Amino acid sequence: MTPRHTLALVLLVAGAAALLLAALALAVLPGPYLRLHALSPAAALGAPLVALALAVDTGPGRAAVKLLVIGLLLAIGGTVTTMAVARTTVRAERKAQQ
Amino acid sequence: MNAWLIAAAVLAACGVGPCLLLGLRGSPEQRLAGLNLAATITSVVLLLLAQGFSRTSYTDLALDLAVLAPAGTLVFTRFLAGRQQ
Repeated sequence: MTPRHTLALVLLVAGAAALLLAALALAVLPGPYLRLHALSPAAALGAPLVALALAVDTGPGRAAVKLLVIGLLLAIGGTVTTMAVARTTVRAERKAQQ
Repeated sequence: MNAWLIAAAVLAACGVGPCLLLGLRGSPEQRLAGLNLAATITSVVLLLLAQGFSRTSYTDLALDLAVLAPAGTLVFTRFLAGRQQ
């Protein structure tokens, strides 16, 4: 077990824990707005941590850069879609109250 | 069996599961939140499977999903916004 593999496993466990917590929060939190809090940590923290773990385990090179780009895409895409879903939820709530 | 495959199995079962449950009930906006999180977790599972089976060429699947899933979610929000007016 090399130090690099150990670091990769630590990052993997942290990323997987963030994703599982987000899924749990999505299932448990009451109300639409509280549930939106579950989306962005998964995309902005969990996915990049797992991508970083994979990149560390792969070692320096093109494959690691590709993994980091995927992690970055997931972070940006997740953040943007969380805001879009939040805006749609606000509109729907406002429409329901009229 | 290595750590990547174990993480992929746990995330697929305990991560995507609640998202599917939320996708089955509630208002369309709530289902969209479940779909959004399911896409993120599925991308990560695809990454882990590619690493666990040492098939690095399959990371392209996760790359495609990372690009297309947000686009699909934005199309859904566009439809829902159109429905609300």
